[in-house]
Amino acid sequence: MFDKVTEEKIKELIIARLQTIPPEVGISVGSEGDFKRDELIEHVKQDDEIGKKLIQIDLNYLRTLKELNLYA
Amino acid sequence: MPKKLLVTRPLYGGDGGIYYLFHWATIYIKFAKTKGNEVLDLDEKRANRKDLTSILKKTKPHLVCFNGHGNYDSVTGQEGEILVKAKDNEEILKGTIVHILACSSGKILAPSCIQKGAEAIIAYKEEFWFFYDRQGTSKPLIDSTAKLFLEPANLVINSLLKGNTVEESYNKSQKLYKENIQKVLASNSSEGYLAKFLIWDMVNQVPIGNKQATL
Repeated sequence: MFDKVTEEKIKELIIARLQTIPPEVGISVGSEGDFKRDELIEHVKQDDEIGKKLIQIDLNYLRTLKELNLYA
Repeated sequence: MPKKLLVTRPLYGGDGGIYYLFHWATIYIKFAKTKGNEVLDLDEKRANRKDLTSILKKTKPHLVCFNGHGNYDSVTGQEGEILVKAKDNEEILKGTIVHILACSSGKILAPSCIQKGAEAIIAYKEEFWFFYDRQGTSKPLIDSTAKLFLEPANLVINSLLKGNTVEESYNKSQKLYKENIQKVLASNSSEGYLAKFLIWDMVNQVPIGNKQATL
């Protein structure tokens, strides 16, 4: 979907955004389990299924935010 | 007229997600009872396939609410036992309205259940994400972070119990998701990081089947 450089930049951006999550928060991802912020960051770095899902969630957010017309 | 509500809510093995869904279901169970409805509560070990199948057959509930883990083609109960699976036993939900608070089962399982006679289903097409306060897990019902995710999800059930249609209940849930997204994106909120996950759950929540169905 993206070239290698773009992919790496997207990952960097997503990791930067994940770092805004407070460390004391727990994150439930169904049968994948419960995670802490730093564990999610590791998944993005490793580019595994959870990491890929986080990229999808981020891109979905950017795509959907305008469509949702939140302030109408 | 009083309605019959069947709830599955497993609880096992230090699973934070399951623990929260278990406790949050007590809110609508209490509400249903207050309104004079009958609640068939398959909690913990009773959230198994044998009991579910038998109780569905005997009591024919109007509404079935699953809480647990799921994937595209199944939803699970205690210790991860598969309760309903596509191309296996979906016919057990024939004639019922169903709410599935689990990952991904809106994609294959829910349409498959509708094909086999379920009246309507509200479920999630992809993973259901939620955040919670790890310091506050002893009191999950007062966890304001978890509330942002679990209240809109379970609002569907209270709305159905009030006599609204599946579509109206779905719309009320979507509206509350939207309000919560606005709340966390507000300039004075420190919870803006939650917005993308709330949007994810919101856009993946789907109503399938007869959207005009009521209990």
